[in-house]
Amino acid sequence: MNDRLMDAQIREGASRGDRYREGASRADRGREGAGRGDRPLLEVHDLRVRFPTPAGAVRAVDGVSFDLWPGQALGIVGESGSGKSVTARTLMNLLPRTARVDGDVLYEGRDVRALAAAGAKHFWGVEMTMVFQDPMTSLNPVKKVGEQIAEALRYHLGQSRGEALAEAADLLGQVGIPEPARRVGQYPHELSGGLRQRVVIAMALACRPRLLIADEPTTAVDVTVQKHLLDLLDRLRAEREMAMILITHDLGVAKGRTDDVAVMYAGRIVELADTVSLFADMRHPYTEALLRSIPRIDDPSGHRLDPIGGRPPDLIDPPRRCSFADRCRYAQRDCLEAVPEFAGLEGLHRFSCNHPAGTERGRAALAANQAAGRNAAGLSMTETREEIR
Amino acid sequence: MAGSGRAQLRDGAEALLRVEDLVAEFPAGRKQVVHAVSSVSFDVAEGETLGIVGESGCGKSTVARSIIRLNPIRSGRVVYRGQNLAELEGEALRRVRPNLQMIFQDPISSLNPRRRVRDVIGEGLAVWGDDRGTWSRDRIDELMAAVGVDPRFGGRYPHQFSGGQCQRIGIARALALDPEVLICDEPVSALDVSIQAQILNLLQDMKCRYGLTVLFISHDLAVVKNVSDRIVVMYLGKVCEIGAADELYERPVHPYTRALLASIPDPAATVDVSEGDIGGELPSPVNPPEGCRFHTRCPRATELCRQTEPSMARVGDGDHFAACHHPVLVAAPAPR
Repeated sequence: MNDRLMDAQIREGASRGDRYREGASRADRGREGAGRGDRPLLEVHDLRVRFPTPAGAVRAVDGVSFDLWPGQALGIVGESGSGKSVTARTLMNLLPRTARVDGDVLYEGRDVRALAAAGAKHFWGVEMTMVFQDPMTSLNPVKKVGEQIAEALRYHLGQSRGEALAEAADLLGQVGIPEPARRVGQYPHELSGGLRQRVVIAMALACRPRLLIADEPTTAVDVTVQKHLLDLLDRLRAEREMAMILITHDLGVAKGRTDDVAVMYAGRIVELADTVSLFADMRHPYTEALLRSIPRIDDPSGHRLDPIGGRPPDLIDPPRRCSFADRCRYAQRDCLEAVPEFAGLEGLHRFSCNHPAGTERGRAALAANQAAGRNAAGLSMTETREEIR
Repeated sequence: MAGSGRAQLRDGAEALLRVEDLVAEFPAGRKQVVHAVSSVSFDVAEGETLGIVGESGCGKSTVARSIIRLNPIRSGRVVYRGQNLAELEGEALRRVRPNLQMIFQDPISSLNPRRRVRDVIGEGLAVWGDDRGTWSRDRIDELMAAVGVDPRFGGRYPHQFSGGQCQRIGIARALALDPEVLICDEPVSALDVSIQAQILNLLQDMKCRYGLTVLFISHDLAVVKNVSDRIVVMYLGKVCEIGAADELYERPVHPYTRALLASIPDPAATVDVSEGDIGGELPSPVNPPEGCRFHTRCPRATELCRQTEPSMARVGDGDHFAACHHPVLVAAPAPR
């Protein structure tokens, strides 16, 4: 059986399965997950990615696990170096050859990493596609945009050039580009940044993927354009019942556009919850600190910000303990002894912290550190300046 | 949006820096001209922080660079302590520039990679001497300590520091000559969110410690509100609206300001999210629309807007001005 046929059958089988429904709680989904044919679209288990360097292996991703259900939007939030883009690139099989990957990635129960070894050329770009941050560098500057979209249709779906070009124009219309018939004949430099990113989205959607990975899709565009693009992704996702992983450094973007959010720090998911609970009851001190450090539109002008002291850890040979402890206002001695377990208090809101914010343990830890003037790792509770390595 | 007119300028006595009808244009080939800044006026009082906010291509960076003459000024005046900087040349311009210093967006590329950071910070001092006509390592160490970089690392090169530290070094360099005016062009846009807060607080501290007047340019509405006393909103080379920071965000009257506030991911409570759906594309600054420059995308545009450019006019009774024929005048929102 060839790949294309297999992919088509898998897709058909999946479309019969229950879709992720907005409003269904995580617990409900967990119960539904018992029957065959109703499993997550994507299961990532204990994913680890290391890059060898002369100074030692960089642990870019250090034990990431999550499930993604059909139609679900998962936000991955974190700062540069947190491992969010490496996670995405691992899923897309886009890592450099030197990368060392461990752990399991299952798509509809199939091992994606084994697919990579077998050279499944109609998996990436068909089932799972990706939108990158900078539309100018992800488009070919010397090829008309219509041809670039048609390329995917011709290669993966075997369409003729004429068919593919007609469908490319149709796709441009679907992503809200005015005069699509004229735009197919234009080059990327003739389009504005917002239109270019729409072209990239049209390319990613051409083969009707069931999972779209969007890596900072709106970081390079202005706010008014950002709103249009995110609205577009919302609409397309609903129309096509497509799952999405939205990678962003912007908590506001994640808050409005996702069902669940994973917060990453130093290669690990430190907190994972449905979006509403995460923003209402954040437990991990990093999530809390990140939110408090951002200027908010409703704060009065001149409002003093609460920065996160210190700096992110070195990912070469990181100590086996809580990676945020050095910068954490809650850190106690036990945080320096082992990596806290990734667990939850109730439901599926999980986090990796011994002294979670908003709990009795957390309040006690914070009070103890405030009384001592510093946390267990020696971070001053008043000094907010960045410290030198 | 048009925004010509000078109604927003305050009495000359209180302004340290005053920009009047500034026009900056760049040749675009084939005898075409990019109208980057078209008749922009505002003033900055001593000790004030003025924010300039707008999307890419609105001319905010060109305004900043024009003030210290990093790009040519077509016409208009930039008055600093009674001197028109737009007319200065040669030695006179050189002598005034230490008083107006700039911090740039990309902290790493704005530092010379082949020089030790101590020399980067000290270069201005080496040229000018400090206020006593001398300079020393102590002065550089003091500056480094003030911005939170350990002076022991003065012998290192920029690539040995993180982005946040490089921005601190850029701030130390700008402060070395004890300037009166600090111009910050997107100083935190290239930094991670946790570092951004450190730098914004540092700028605030430095402003108090050295008595600076700050011009702060950013596309990020929340950042601009956080640091600014007054805010200028620009669109396509023109000023849309000027007002005190809290007042402007509380009662935005220009449809473009409202669209911006409604477009941010966690929108302001003072506007309706649907106001963010401005259609169309940013027109080309080579051939900007007649009349109000925002009329091609404005939900309130009428024939009047297509033909006549609105001028800046006072809104309400405070220090709040907008250039719009059909401003959105609503009662103050109920306290939440």
